[in-house]
Amino acid sequence: MATDFFENQDRAHKNTGRLVVLFALAVCGIVAMLYGLAVVVLGYPGQDPYTGTMVGSLAWWNPELLGQVTLAALVIVGGGSLYKVAQLRGGGRTVAEHLGGRLLHVETGDVLERRLLNVVEEMAIASGTATPPVYLLDEERGINAFAAGFSPDDAVIAVTRGCLEQLSRDELQGVVAHEFSHVLNGDMRLNIRLIGVVHGILLIGIIGYFLLRSAAFSGRSRRSGDRGNSGAALLVLGLGLVVVGFLGTLLGNLIKASVSRQREFLADASAVQFTRDPNGIAGALKKIGGLAEGSRVEHPNAPEASHMFFSRGIVSGISSLFSTHPPLIERIRRLDPAFEGGLAEGGATARGDAVGAISGLVEADAVGAAIDQIGVTSPAHLRYAADLIAGLPAPVVRAAHEPYGSRALLYALLVNRDPRSQRTQLEHLAKHADPAVEDETRRLLPVVVGLEEAVRLPLVDMLIPALRQLSPPQYDVFTANVTALIAADRKIDLFEWTLQRILLQHLAPGFEKVKAPRVRYASVDRVAGQCQVVLSALARAGGRSEPQAVEAFACGADALGVSGLALLTRERCGLAPLDEALFALSALAPLEKKRLLRACAVAVSADRRVTVSEGELLRAIADSLGCPMPPLLPGQSLV
Amino acid sequence: MTAWIVLAGLVVLLVASVVGIFNKLVAYRNRYKNGFAQIEVQLKRRHDLIPNLVETAKGYMAHERETLDAVVQARNRATEGLQQAASDPTNAEAVKGLGSAEGALSGAVGRLFAVMESYPDLKASDNMRQLSEELTSTENKVAFARQAFNDAVTTYNTYRQSFPAVVLAGMFGHSQDAALLEFDSEVIAEAPKVSF
Repeated sequence: MATDFFENQDRAHKNTGRLVVLFALAVCGIVAMLYGLAVVVLGYPGQDPYTGTMVGSLAWWNPELLGQVTLAALVIVGGGSLYKVAQLRGGGRTVAEHLGGRLLHVETGDVLERRLLNVVEEMAIASGTATPPVYLLDEERGINAFAAGFSPDDAVIAVTRGCLEQLSRDELQGVVAHEFSHVLNGDMRLNIRLIGVVHGILLIGIIGYFLLRSAAFSGRSRRSGDRGNSGAALLVLGLGLVVVGFLGTLLGNLIKASVSRQREFLADASAVQFTRDPNGIAGALKKIGGLAEGSRVEHPNAPEASHMFFSRGIVSGISSLFSTHPPLIERIRRLDPAFEGGLAEGGATARGDAVGAISGLVEADAVGAAIDQIGVTSPAHLRYAADLIAGLPAPVVRAAHEPYGSRALLYALLVNRDPRSQRTQLEHLAKHADPAVEDETRRLLPVVVGLEEAVRLPLVDMLIPALRQLSPPQYDVFTANVTALIAADRKIDLFEWTLQRILLQHLAPGFEKVKAPRVRYASVDRVAGQCQVVLSALARAGGRSEPQAVEAFACGADALGVSGLALLTRERCGLAPLDEALFALSALAPLEKKRLLRACAVAVSADRRVTVSEGELLRAIADSLGCPMPPLLPGQSLV
Repeated sequence: MTAWIVLAGLVVLLVASVVGIFNKLVAYRNRYKNGFAQIEVQLKRRHDLIPNLVETAKGYMAHERETLDAVVQARNRATEGLQQAASDPTNAEAVKGLGSAEGALSGAVGRLFAVMESYPDLKASDNMRQLSEELTSTENKVAFARQAFNDAVTTYNTYRQSFPAVVLAGMFGHSQDAALLEFDSEVIAEAPKVSF
């Protein structure tokens, strides 16, 4: 069942709404329980320490107490949740490190780690996103994985050692595809919010636990009868909070489960869609079933992230209602209806085909229109990605995978053909870049100049992970140099603009606070002006004459369905206005983005000829809107 | 009763900020540990190139026993130093030890290249050209990765020393500054650069 990227994004948004409602209900429930507890504790018959008289129980209805309990509950739960979300705001990296992950460096000598990194890189190029950092959970023998981050731009993928060692390349690809579908469908932000929200609820139990321990402690150290009553009260309070906390945890798990279970089936389906090979992911699931450790994750922080894992990470006696993952057998059966129930033993197959190539599964069916491929990928794209990487000259690949060389590579990509501005650029590098980078750039220049046009932007995507490893001061020097190199010839061409946008979109979030637009737009009608800028820019790109541009624009506006739009002059749809327009449009609702991108594709295909630079511009625009578009395959249509 | 709630709220805030400081310390430490892993990869490559270098040179300058042996010994010590530091990059001693071992290695290799000046055949041989090319490239990557590591260490140290982290750092197991990685005999970027 093919799921549309935009519909998935939309669903993820709706799930967030559900989450809020469930959380509110949970808090109400907790307030009610705490109120009941407060009445019991405060109304505990005993001696009033000040007057010495006996105090009877409180009436059940006490609005002032209710108000105070509500306030206290909101402060604790709200505070706990906000704190946790703030803690996780560091993005995917924080979550991965929180669970004990180790960042894998592309230059690693270990052949299994290399294989994993290659699989992730191919998948990234094939889906049109930048390669995410990959973390390894060294200590975990079970087979499991997760993807974390607030957006595809700060996404990370983490995989356990068990995964690395036990799975074959195809199965690894299936698991990575499953995680990529989470990245592309916007499930991760919801995951992080879930962790935050449930943490707040857990806090009550934690406080109760502390009270209980301190009550036990004070009970031991003070023997006087006077203290006895308040000691008992503390004990009851602590115990009560623990019980409430326990119930709260159940509620929390219920919330997690209701939001995450359905998503797992969808992610499995997407993984199959990406690879057209149900055996990969089914094989991985079968191996989980056959392995003694299964998919268990031992790290102490694992329970709070249990809903993010590929398969059940925490084994507990909770009934299936509270489980965050569908049963293993059910998932296998959906992928492989002929499954009889025999589960495979963990394989030593992993090392055997570590050096092997992608399985030669050749699909003859045509790849769909490019617009329909947004957020999705296919074996044809994976093959294209593998071929592209294989076709790159060795020095380029080597340089692309580590921070020192990747900077030089990027500078080399920006060096102009015109000898005079080239000299200016290289002089600038000699003066302002790190020593020896200018040499390295010069050395890479002849190789880079020989690369095909269509390869340049995927190459930039490949550079991102290495560039992310720059330290902040190094990053500052790097961006200053990039800006200077682009400015050297006093004009920005399309390639330079696209490159800058890729860096802004994928690299900058790791180093600077990137502002998000404030308003959410529910319909294209609200952003008609910005849409006009985008369509005009596309209509004028590709060296069209004025009448051709007018026609292209008209087709696009037609497809968009907004009346009253006209082609703008060159100045009004230049690169700077385009930047502003894209910034606003990134806040457009997902289904409306689909409308806009379809209109863009119609405008570009109006003259029945899509040049490489037009294709790149369209992909860059889609990327800026947060909708990654896979590379355009030769002969593929846009709409 | 409201006073209690306000007090509780303040306590929660205090606890939250304490935990925040703890987490930030942990995060910065992880950053520089990652930075160390990056330089480890490059240093390993550097160490792997040295035996090749020695073998190639031996063919031509068999009499320069001492110089060659010095290089081999320095390389072995550097490999050990790297292993120790890699097992715990938070250990300042180990990192400093690595720094001086690598510095010694650079010195020994530098002296080898100086001696090589008297053996023009060796200098001109294809093997040696290729090796010195790779060595130079590796040296550049090492320098770059070391800069990144030191930046990360500086960020950690600065945060750890600043208020309010300084008050709590000792309690949370961050009692020491992390060590910057300095290669003592600072000829690192030039040592293997042979001018033909």
